[in-house]
Amino acid sequence: MTADLLGTEDVGAEGHEGDRTHRTRPEIGERASGAIDDGTGDLEEGRSGTMLLARMAEAVYWAGRHLERAEGTARIVQVHTDAHVDLPVGEDVGWEPLLAIAGVDSEFAERYQAAAGPEDARAAEEDVIEFLLHGEGNDSSILASMTAARENLRTARPVVPREAWEACNNLWLSSNDLLEEAHSREGRVRWLRRVIAGCQCIHGILLGTMSRDEAMSFLVLGQNIERADLTTRVLDVRSDSLHAPGADDPYDVVHWMAVLRSLAAYQPFRRAMPARPQGGSTLRFLLQDDRFPRAVGACLTEARAQLKVLPHSERAQEACQNASMVVASAPVARLTLGGLSEFLEDVQLALVEIHERVDDTYFRPSFVGWEPTAASR
Amino acid sequence: MDLTQPSGTLGSVDDQKDAAAPPGGTLAPQWPTYDPAPFYDELVGSDGTPRPSAEALWNHFAELGPDALAERQLAADREIRALGVTFTVYDGGVGVDRPWPFDIIPRIIPRDQWQIIEAGLVQRLAALNLFIDDCYHDQRAVSAGVVPADLVTGSPNFRRECVGVDPPGGIWAHICGSDLIRDDEGFWYVLEDNLRVPSGVSYLLENRMVTKHIFPEMFRHYSIEPVDPYVGRLASTLASVSPSTGDPTIVVLTPGIHNSAYFEHAFLAQQLGVELVEGSDLVVLDDDCVYARTIDGLEQVDVIYRRVDDLFIDPEVFLPDSLLGVPGLMRAWKSGRVALVNAPGAGIADDKKVYSYVPDIIRFYLEEEPILWTIPTYRCSDPEARARVLNDLANLVVKPANESGGYGVLVGSQATPEELVVAAREIEDEPNRWVAQPIIKLSTAPTLCDDEVAPRHVDLRPFTLMGPDGAYVTRGGLTRVARRKGSLVVNSSQGGGSKDTWVVDSPSDTALAGGPT
Repeated sequence: MTADLLGTEDVGAEGHEGDRTHRTRPEIGERASGAIDDGTGDLEEGRSGTMLLARMAEAVYWAGRHLERAEGTARIVQVHTDAHVDLPVGEDVGWEPLLAIAGVDSEFAERYQAAAGPEDARAAEEDVIEFLLHGEGNDSSILASMTAARENLRTARPVVPREAWEACNNLWLSSNDLLEEAHSREGRVRWLRRVIAGCQCIHGILLGTMSRDEAMSFLVLGQNIERADLTTRVLDVRSDSLHAPGADDPYDVVHWMAVLRSLAAYQPFRRAMPARPQGGSTLRFLLQDDRFPRAVGACLTEARAQLKVLPHSERAQEACQNASMVVASAPVARLTLGGLSEFLEDVQLALVEIHERVDDTYFRPSFVGWEPTAASR
Repeated sequence: MDLTQPSGTLGSVDDQKDAAAPPGGTLAPQWPTYDPAPFYDELVGSDGTPRPSAEALWNHFAELGPDALAERQLAADREIRALGVTFTVYDGGVGVDRPWPFDIIPRIIPRDQWQIIEAGLVQRLAALNLFIDDCYHDQRAVSAGVVPADLVTGSPNFRRECVGVDPPGGIWAHICGSDLIRDDEGFWYVLEDNLRVPSGVSYLLENRMVTKHIFPEMFRHYSIEPVDPYVGRLASTLASVSPSTGDPTIVVLTPGIHNSAYFEHAFLAQQLGVELVEGSDLVVLDDDCVYARTIDGLEQVDVIYRRVDDLFIDPEVFLPDSLLGVPGLMRAWKSGRVALVNAPGAGIADDKKVYSYVPDIIRFYLEEEPILWTIPTYRCSDPEARARVLNDLANLVVKPANESGGYGVLVGSQATPEELVVAAREIEDEPNRWVAQPIIKLSTAPTLCDDEVAPRHVDLRPFTLMGPDGAYVTRGGLTRVARRKGSLVVNSSQGGGSKDTWVVDSPSDTALAGGPT
């Protein structure tokens, strides 16, 4: 996994700011500063054909989120399948953690376990996989995410490169066509790989052919909020087994490796951290690293950089900064001993706050921004 | 007597040159049973050999053989699916996206013939624009006795709200999608002038793209007029009617993702590089200007290429329940602060009754003879014409005067006796609603059907653009093909397919008929 959508080589906040000012959009700058009262001259200035409809912005934002969710879920399922194979029967953690990461445990229970008796409490692999890949009643299944991404890209066709829409449409078609094969473990690996590669292909097309315009900013913003969220959820599930300090778990390393792998973070972690994967170093890397694109800190830095070039983004930037501070000040060493779950919940709430402010600023139907009056003409 | 006479210059005399074409170099067709008789076929002469312009294509297909052709059809189907080229059909109220149906065998039109059609289409649209403008001003055509007053003010497409409005350059219909057909002798006719929200141009462009991928080798044998320039011409036509002096902000207005032509709306917005808006994205303020809700607040819009029907564009003026429109849009348009393309009210000239007067309309406004033929049309409101129609119903096509899309059309020769009785009653009850035309034996083109090549009926929809700065006609058009044997219904909503259409630089195989030029 090498795609680096985030341009994280230069993630220093200052560096980004300097970088972004090259994307001069004088019309936005001037209008955002309230120059509307100047009248028609300013209006002319503002009408240079680069406008982005609020509805389109929302569509690309959600396309970014759903694409990321599809890819992320596919990775997690794939890695879990691999790890499962490594662990002796009895030591394995079963398939429930996947449901927890995807945040669909209760939906799953409703569908599958209500029918089964309590003696059958452990979720069967086939059921969990089916539910995560394409289960009915699971709005975050891989297929549902791809469907949503496709619908959003379809709406946003005028502002995204044609090839990206085609790639997404193609991936959606082939994933549907080949769903049968995902039912065996071996076919599942192929199916998931295709999803991951397909999502990467779409990202690659966007990165290589889409102007770094406002639409792109919304897409990258959605992607990074989703990414950060997914990383916290992967960590959260792992937090359960952290409560036994000092307990010598022979499979600890295997578990942490799986965590890193499911976020495509194993190799970057190895290069960045001399330590072997265990609680403290993994947490530090996945929460605070500023270079690895799936680390929460890096996601937030990127999200903020995107917000900076958007008009009227002050409140969302503030929320972003707040989330960054929460993450940066994480007492990592202490968290390995307890309280991780509570801490991650704080991070998730901070992410929700960013989303809500973005939603409020740009997507709400009530949003009209400033309104020019008849006098201004 | 209310029957318009065919008048025009373009037609063909079958096969004169075909007979003279050198037989050498023509392989025997791979489909020896291909026999379009009694119809005129676009590619094959009545003696079974390809027309001169189709020779290279036909020979190539013969070399390829049916299996390879079928494979290429599969490849085309796959590509269309992957590109997401769809149209929406409604099945029990639920919209379903279907892959766009495309037949890989192109239709060929020699360039010299096309140039005449092009001139005819421009002439026609120019006259129709003068007519529309006249309808909403002095109605000179009525006072001069060219058309009856009722044709204008009695039409359901006449919009009182448009009276006295002066759109830029006096152009009301900027985009016209005409339907052209050929009869059993190869003569061209205009069947309809679609001036409201004609669709299909995206499929025309996509068909060419697919053909380039499926038959790249054919582009070496032919010099084919490109179709791509349409988008650039559309952009400049839209810009040319902008009320603002600066760079205009243009948008495409769609009824939304559930509309059957949404694919096209999104395609055109993407190709034009403009926003695709829905009614709820726009707002008209007290200054009578139209604004779009953008992430940076409200931005003024200058030109709206609207793909929403007149009656839905402004709930303040037309259907009050319409959620597709923008309250105040008519006010903004009338005050000249925004351009609407096509202008509201342009549909007055898109009506089967007006159609029957078009030759006179051309003569009246342009003082020219019509270049393209109009099909003789009986107006059932005229007692004498009505009597003739009722008398000869089985040999006529009966059409509602104000519908489009092939709805409500009855082909007398294919109707059951019961259907004829019902039609006769409907005509007697509401004669005003109906017109009738002789049945034209539509031309055919070779079409892949279940791995064999068979003649199927076709029509042609070229698109004409007209702005204050000039006019443009697509090179060729969208060929629609009825995929069922003997069927005359080419509408994609009713199972029709499509073909790429090549205007080629090769000698015309059909003579141009006489008549005034």
